[in-house]
Amino acid sequence: MTRDEVLKHLEKIEDLPTLPEVVSRIIVLAQSPDVNIRDLSGLIHRDPPLAAKVLKVANAPYYRCFLKDIDSLDRAIILLGMEEIVNIVTSVSVMSVFVDKGRGTGFKRKQFWNHCVATGIIARSFARELSAKTAGKEFVGGLLHDIGKILLDAYFHSSFVEAYEYSIENRCPLFMAESRILGITHMEVGYLLALKWGLPQYLGDIILNHHWPDKARFKDMVAIVSIANLLAKAGKYAYGGEKSSFILSDQSGWQVLDNMGYTVGAVDMERFTMSMDNVGKEVDSYITTVSGHSNGR
Amino acid sequence: MGDSTVPLGYAKSSMSEEDFRLLRDFIYENSGIYFSDAKKDLLENRLSLRLKANNLKDYQEYYYMLRYGPQQSREIKALFDSVSTNETSFFRSPPQIQALQDYALIDVVKKRLERGENILRMWSAGCSTGEEPYTMAIVVKEFLKERLSEWDVKILASDISERALSSARRAEYNAYSLRSMPDLLKYKYFDNSGNTYKVKDEIKKLVELQYLNFVDSKRVSLMQGFDIVFCRNVLIYFDDALRKRFVSQLYDSLIPGGYLFIGHSESLHNITRAFKLVHFPGALAYKKE
Repeated sequence: MTRDEVLKHLEKIEDLPTLPEVVSRIIVLAQSPDVNIRDLSGLIHRDPPLAAKVLKVANAPYYRCFLKDIDSLDRAIILLGMEEIVNIVTSVSVMSVFVDKGRGTGFKRKQFWNHCVATGIIARSFARELSAKTAGKEFVGGLLHDIGKILLDAYFHSSFVEAYEYSIENRCPLFMAESRILGITHMEVGYLLALKWGLPQYLGDIILNHHWPDKARFKDMVAIVSIANLLAKAGKYAYGGEKSSFILSDQSGWQVLDNMGYTVGAVDMERFTMSMDNVGKEVDSYITTVSGHSNGR
Repeated sequence: MGDSTVPLGYAKSSMSEEDFRLLRDFIYENSGIYFSDAKKDLLENRLSLRLKANNLKDYQEYYYMLRYGPQQSREIKALFDSVSTNETSFFRSPPQIQALQDYALIDVVKKRLERGENILRMWSAGCSTGEEPYTMAIVVKEFLKERLSEWDVKILASDISERALSSARRAEYNAYSLRSMPDLLKYKYFDNSGNTYKVKDEIKKLVELQYLNFVDSKRVSLMQGFDIVFCRNVLIYFDDALRKRFVSQLYDSLIPGGYLFIGHSESLHNITRAFKLVHFPGALAYKKE
């Protein structure tokens, strides 16, 4: 299969999942300078299941910094801030579109989402550790960085399975195997979807460049996600054959952050890595909240 | 001591603050093992047996015996046996052993071959009763297989406790200390009778046991040329100053490209930046570049 064939095929697919219209409008609205709480809340309310999910996530242990339950969307927006609500809307809706996609054989969906959610959580903690002003977007980015893999699995199933097996047998990164067998990588495919759906630019950037953050535009955000991705793989949240060993300070994401003036050297990465070994509960609870069914392990 | 007048909970603190400080400092000077104030009860508990064995009435007498007694050097050895911890087992912290097997060993063997050498040197620093160095030997044997005979492999294993070393020399273990080990390896490398597992000679002969006190900086500085050093759960017993000095000696003991493994919950972050931190699946190690 060649790159052009894959691209043509993707163009022609009619049942390519679409993002609910409301969500697209929310994303556009969030980027306008004079957005207000009422507009945002009004839009979310137009999609009652979405509104319910957003409220559920806002009440999940992940955000449990408030004493009382958050019982309305307006309150959630006030307490968590508009930016965070848009983050929640974006992650919940994209994940909901995909959470039941993928055929399951070869592509281990549960393992896949565990890896994605773990990457998001680690990215968020790492951003905090660096006092990076990435405003929760690193979480959304971590969650959705590998979205292209689902498309490949759903629409180019046998080739994707072949690439997956090739990467395990040859101990090489999956994207190298994809490039060899499909002529295109999950990063490019995911990026095309991000463009088609009008996802925010930072997300497209993370999806396309999480393996080479030095090429990114939103450099710190992409670098943080790239490191979180590695740490998730080194911990319990490897997906597929992608277990690896690496020297963090030699990674381009690390160097990008260092060059930007982040004090990466001051972070006790040993402690950080050890503490990230315990993200399991958070991963489970996030997946349960968003997908509505339990993440039995 | 008038214990009957003392409430039960207080009855055991017969070691005075002063005795504690004297003994603590003595142990620290001589072994590097540091008992913080919070560990007074632990030290008292460990030394109570030495008091009994020497028929002494209190800790002050014990202190004088260590400092000036005729049997001083023999008692110091017994003291080291009492204050060092021997909790260990085969394949302890499996992800670290897996990392040794799947990554570190492959890497150092490749580097040696590139230089046209077939020498492999490893050090189990603080080897206790021998489970760790024999584990390392088994991993090396499993990796090199029949090529082992073409290689000059030596695993140096050192400890401060003579008693632990003589137990390591016996190389006999019970099933419990082999609990993390795959059955096949037990079968291959141990002679089993009842609950006793004796390490086979082909593994034993790769390990060289020796007494070494990490405070003895001159002798530690003779430890050189290692590809891989394991020093797990040792640094936790030291204070900061000794930790820094000893870790820099560990660094010097490695050849370029060599790896240091410390305890799975330990960190060198506040001790040195000389190494590069390496992430392996589920385990961390330090590399000298």
